[in-house]
Amino acid sequence: MRNVAIVGIGYTPVFVSKRRDVCIPEMISEAVENAFKDSGLTPADIDAVVFGNMQTFEGVNLPHLWSADYIASLGKPVMRIATGGTTGMSAFHAGYYHIASGLHDVVMVVTYEKQSEGDSQVGLMGIITPEIMAMLAAGIDVTGQKGMGAIGGGSAGGISYQASSYLHHSGAGIEHIDAIAAMERRNAAKNPYAHLKDPEATAEKIAQTPLISWPIRFGHVCPTSDGATVCILASEEKAAKLVDKAAWVWAVANCASDATTGNLIEGIITDPAEQMPAQIAARQAYERAGIEDPKKEIDYVEIYNGFAHQTLMFLERIGMCEVGEAHKLLEKGELEMSGRLPVNSSGGVVSTNAIGTSAMNRVTECALQILGRAGEHQVEKEVHKALAHGWGGLMQYVTITILADKPKKL
Amino acid sequence: METSEATFITPVVPMDFTYNYRIGPYMTRYLEGFKERKILGSRCPACGRIAVPPRKYCGVCNKVMEEMVELPQEGTLENFTVGHVILEKGQLKAADAPYVLGLIRLDEKASLLLHRVEGVDPSRVEKGMKVKAVWKEDVEGDYGDLDHFEPA
Amino acid sequence: MDKKVAIVGFRMKSAPDLVTTRERLTFELTRGLFDDLGIDRTAVDTTIFSTNDFLDGRTISNVFLDGPAGAYMRDESKVEMDGINALMYAVIRILSGQYSTAMVVALGLTGSQVSPYLHVEYQLSPVYDRQMRLLNELSAAAFQARSYLARYGYSEKLLDEVAAQALSNAAANPNQARKIPGASAEQVASSSPYYEPLRELHCYPPTDGGCAMLLASAERAKELTDKPVWVLGMGQSIETFYLGERDLAKSPSTAQAAQRAYEMAGIRDPKAEIDLAEISALFAHQEPLLAEALGLLEEGKAEEAYRSGDTAISGKMPLNPSGGALGGHPISATGIIRTAEAVRQLRGEAGDNQVGKAEVAVVHGQDGPCAQQNAVLVLGI
Ligand SMILES: [Zn+2]
Repeated sequence: MRNVAIVGIGYTPVFVSKRRDVCIPEMISEAVENAFKDSGLTPADIDAVVFGNMQTFEGVNLPHLWSADYIASLGKPVMRIATGGTTGMSAFHAGYYHIASGLHDVVMVVTYEKQSEGDSQVGLMGIITPEIMAMLAAGIDVTGQKGMGAIGGGSAGGISYQASSYLHHSGAGIEHIDAIAAMERRNAAKNPYAHLKDPEATAEKIAQTPLISWPIRFGHVCPTSDGATVCILASEEKAAKLVDKAAWVWAVANCASDATTGNLIEGIITDPAEQMPAQIAARQAYERAGIEDPKKEIDYVEIYNGFAHQTLMFLERIGMCEVGEAHKLLEKGELEMSGRLPVNSSGGVVSTNAIGTSAMNRVTECALQILGRAGEHQVEKEVHKALAHGWGGLMQYVTITILADKPKKL
Repeated sequence: METSEATFITPVVPMDFTYNYRIGPYMTRYLEGFKERKILGSRCPACGRIAVPPRKYCGVCNKVMEEMVELPQEGTLENFTVGHVILEKGQLKAADAPYVLGLIRLDEKASLLLHRVEGVDPSRVEKGMKVKAVWKEDVEGDYGDLDHFEPA
Repeated sequence: MDKKVAIVGFRMKSAPDLVTTRERLTFELTRGLFDDLGIDRTAVDTTIFSTNDFLDGRTISNVFLDGPAGAYMRDESKVEMDGINALMYAVIRILSGQYSTAMVVALGLTGSQVSPYLHVEYQLSPVYDRQMRLLNELSAAAFQARSYLARYGYSEKLLDEVAAQALSNAAANPNQARKIPGASAEQVASSSPYYEPLRELHCYPPTDGGCAMLLASAERAKELTDKPVWVLGMGQSIETFYLGERDLAKSPSTAQAAQRAYEMAGIRDPKAEIDLAEISALFAHQEPLLAEALGLLEEGKAEEAYRSGDTAISGKMPLNPSGGALGGHPISATGIIRTAEAVRQLRGEAGDNQVGKAEVAVVHGQDGPCAQQNAVLVLGI
């Protein structure tokens, strides 16, 4: 096992609803150019490329093939990773292993989504379309209770089960979901790469947005965004030559359960708020990073929150606080940029969601906080260790990355 | 539990999604060129090769191609195939009649342009033939404006 | 690379129509492999899937496969490419020291459930090629075939001979989908024309299939099998997307990938040191073309090599003794099935398809129109 460092980060200049001005590889190339600018590296320095997105969103199969000329990849190994919402971090992990294995020294990880070109709900529905068709063919009612669980993959339907279960077990209320959503939109206003920004956002304002399916309101839901993120990783020896300061990977971990709809036909739906994979992956990551008490040792957290309640729910699942404690920390202002446990000062996924980049951006945002380069959304406390969380699949994939400000002792 | 072939349910899921692709500034310039019956390419500042249709990056040099160049309308057939089938939404079907597709070189430095070659007996088409562009009567900046090539 | 990572077992399956679901196929392959090795799912540290969202008609196509593969509440990821790349990721993960075993599960049901031609159709640029509707997988392959034949002045008969050899090998192989016993060059030459010079029997058949393969660190491999097959080298590379800018008669990215794999494996003279090759040639011309890029055939001497029997099962340089992808191309699984076939050869378990003494094999997998991206493995015992 070798130490791996983040030595360069590049975003597209903006993350917005519709990049009408560029085609897909042109948009990706902007983030690649910025990663080279940021790191001072050139295409010749790159040994291998990892590429990730969710391809049905754009209707292009294996889009790294079309993008090959735009991402400095010709003549290099290119590996395409796709795991759903977790894609960005799964790709980052692949980049990490490329170097940790000793096979490569400098690896560029390219992630993107240009959701405006497809229909995201269609892309998401596509996860379970064959099941719905089979259920219809077998004469099963897909509009009833059991059916809603299945259709949850494509809308806020299934997510509302998760949110209501979370509220029930934590003692939090819908007002806390409003409040965390408002905090993240305010944070987003300070992040030039965020999509939905509202410096004036308040819980009251969010509470006025229409209810989709209790307790999920319109204001709790992520947008669909166009954007790309590129991250350049290097081995310890290379990093020492390339940069003065880097963010270091201390642990990566991931876990999968079954799709929540897997047992649908038997009428069993697992509690979508249990998120056992998050508990398992976090435990593994702490162990690998030598972290005994995450509450004390982790300074900053980026949670993958397609829906606002997930910030609070996952903080509890990954052991950053006790069950039922997250909304109390929120009430005390501890989750704010100025707080004791700052979370998603980037604005989170609930403010920006170009899906392929979303789990990657959790990592790059942690790196920026460690490097003290987050600008207006830099948190007040010093960040020595940070945790990035990714979530996806049909509510069943979790990825975790722990970064620190110095290399791990091997 | 085993399912016999006879009882195996096969639900059909037609995945006909609609996508709205943005073509970007380079392809836009190419299609605008069509309005003046021009074939445009982009030249790499490093290796001098010309991409037709134009695009942003020369992947070999990792250079942005800014310069647009107009290509001649006459070129050489470098490679060809005679199609006896068509592929429609993945389904292989017999073509109504054999047809010729060619890779055409419009300039020594330019990439080969794929197009239909008409006005020649498919059994007599040859590598090295001189061919020229044939435009639609009304050009409107559409992919189909440059209709096909024919022997020069 | 020293003997650090081994293939310890595999299960594969292939047919024109497997009359199955992805979930059931995944379960059969992985559970069968567990039983073969006398282990349960907890012996697998990580599972890497290789499936394709378009071909499976579903976003995150492996989303329902974790349970059937035994990856429930465990570590998994997905490489959405030909399965040989998923295998490479498994090797990389084991080399990192984080994992001691890794399962690769690759499958595609392009015989019974979806047209394989959509795979490349959707790879093409939606803002140009898919608007022009001139390029497709078959027309692209035809340009490549003509370009290759023209470079060395080969006659189109070479394609018939290559296909006849592959189809005969496939007919003898119980793992293959397409069975044409006694396939002859004449039979190939009289199959229906697609895009000249390619005919039906020069092209891969739509196929259902999959493969599960377990890899392990040196230490674990010894506990799991008496017949480990070692991954000695691997390499991968990609070339430009634009067909009109590629040298179609050669495969520079295959040559680069091979060079990397050979360097890692310490192979200096591939013709002398490699005993057989399993090449993902989707079209007849690709077998000699890729074999040249792999340094296994002398450029310009393909006709002689095939006619003299050098490339046959009993020859000096057997190419696709399994029958290769002309015998079956379950997209996503093809490269890993080639790997499994090479493992059978190196273990001396290839039955009627067994080459003579085999100690080192090279395996190739590809992605993209006309093999835009290529991966190469060197395996040894
Ligand atoms: Zn150039």
